[in-house]
Amino acid sequence: MINLAARDIAHSKGKFITTALGVGMLIGVVLIMIGVYRGMVHDAMIVPNDIGPDLWVVQKDTLGPFAENSRLHEDLKYSLKGFLGVKDVYPLTFQSLQIHQGVKPIRVYALGYEAGGGFEPFTLIEGRAIAITHREIIVDKNTGFKLNDQIKLGRNIYTVVGMTRKAVSSGGDPMIYLDLSEAQELQFLFSNEQIRNDRARGGNGGSTDTVNTFAITLQSGFEPESVAKEIRRWKHQEVYTAQEQSGILTKNLIERSAKQIGMFTVILLIVSSVIISLIIYTMTMGKIKEIAILKLIGASNFIIIKMIALQSLLLGIMAFIGGNLFAHASANLFPKTVILIPTDALKLFVVVIIVSILASLSGIRSALRIEPATAIGG
Amino acid sequence: MRELVIAVEKISKTYGSGESAVTAIKEATFEIYSGETVALLGPSGSGKTTLITMIGCITEPTTGKLTLNGNLMYEGGWKVNDTRQIRREKIGFIFQTHNLIPFLNVLENVTLIPQMNGIKKSEADQKAKDLLDYLGVGDKITKFPSHLSGGQSQRVAIARSLANNPKIILADEPTAALDADRALSVMQLLKKLSIEQKVAIVVVTHDERMLPLFDRILRVEDGYVQEIIQQHTAEYSQK
Repeated sequence: MINLAARDIAHSKGKFITTALGVGMLIGVVLIMIGVYRGMVHDAMIVPNDIGPDLWVVQKDTLGPFAENSRLHEDLKYSLKGFLGVKDVYPLTFQSLQIHQGVKPIRVYALGYEAGGGFEPFTLIEGRAIAITHREIIVDKNTGFKLNDQIKLGRNIYTVVGMTRKAVSSGGDPMIYLDLSEAQELQFLFSNEQIRNDRARGGNGGSTDTVNTFAITLQSGFEPESVAKEIRRWKHQEVYTAQEQSGILTKNLIERSAKQIGMFTVILLIVSSVIISLIIYTMTMGKIKEIAILKLIGASNFIIIKMIALQSLLLGIMAFIGGNLFAHASANLFPKTVILIPTDALKLFVVVIIVSILASLSGIRSALRIEPATAIGG
Repeated sequence: MRELVIAVEKISKTYGSGESAVTAIKEATFEIYSGETVALLGPSGSGKTTLITMIGCITEPTTGKLTLNGNLMYEGGWKVNDTRQIRREKIGFIFQTHNLIPFLNVLENVTLIPQMNGIKKSEADQKAKDLLDYLGVGDKITKFPSHLSGGQSQRVAIARSLANNPKIILADEPTAALDADRALSVMQLLKKLSIEQKVAIVVVTHDERMLPLFDRILRVEDGYVQEIIQQHTAEYSQK
């Protein structure tokens, strides 16, 4: 049997391809939105995964260090090391900064760690780790800096000695890495005037022995939950396992953003289905005479329904292919990470097929109402 | 021997109801035989199209009895489940304009109905090519309707109407969009078909110059159908 849908499409290729590309761009935007969500989840987990601890110790009653502020005394690390099962304790600081590359301001996320001790919470692609803990810095390539560039942070000038790639914070800001003592100065050291004023008020003014969190690795054979329970009991601090921290990051931190993206995605899908529906309806209405002729010469409703539904499906499939090409071509142009994965595309394909079938219903309904007698006469 | 193709008995069609009811055809009775060419003549709005759509099992009559090829089609309601199947298998249609499907080429337009009837593609293609050759448009099989002249399109439409070996061809002003020479040529072709293929042909026409080509003329006026006895002008039909 002649495939009427394919013949009709082949006869008006240009119109059909243009329409499919238009709808395809909408579908491409849907894919990108899903990719943005995937990118947010991925970005949120980069730093925790690079640090890779079994436990996170943070200030009591906080969700720190990524979701809430957390401040702890640095010397807590010595007592933490004494807990049974604890292998290593790494004090860390986190801080959002705005630095300048020339005249261009850049938002970065600074991680302070004890450099030179063998602990390297990053993957270098160029240069080396911080060797001398004095004014050396590691930056992500996305900052735009290169090796040996000079960066002014606070009161000091730092030299770039190492580079990472695609290391970003949960907010998508590129990472920079400093020695802990310098990061502490940057975050906690007040100006000389304020130190003087604080001393006049009776405070000690100017202590920088504070960190935001301790990342703890455990000896093999120890359960994170049981060690966490002991630390909570004896040190009165909050302790999260790696899994709980991951939950905080993906649920608490990006949940609202994910919902926002989800809403956009649903709206875009509704818009796409309305547009496909309108296109199919218009295409069907443009064929009133042909459908009347087909009915008059004896074509069954099945043949007519098949023609319209198949056109809608082909439009959906072509739009999906176009949308995929568009999404993959433009994903790298976005400032934040966009991750396109085949399973998302597959799920979207199923949705597009369902939407295409639903969208063809109005056209089919109209086609079935066309009277064959309208083919007779001028 | 002539075979009874269409038997119409006291058939009527009323549109609407109550005071707004309009009776388009009033108790028409006639018969049409195989190999016969019959003209339906009448002014605009006289009910010709209603009559042809009832014969073609498109419009349901209001009362009366309709028999096609010995099978009862209508008597107080359709007597067949699928009137489209009857149209697909037993009736050929030719329209005022060619009404070919614009996105199908000439061959596909002609093979569409046989393929809908389950005929194999190769068989349908061969039959269509033979028909198109017979009608003088065999070299146009890959062309689309938009690339054909009016006369060529109408010949393809005739080929399509014959593709299902119909018992009857219903033609609604098939020459209205053609110039006088092409109109005559198409009508002569239909006449030839009725003789050679023994198919009954009913043509709605306004063109009185064509009337000598018909075996019988049914005049439709104000819903009434009346047969006109005419003198055959043999020289015109041989022209």
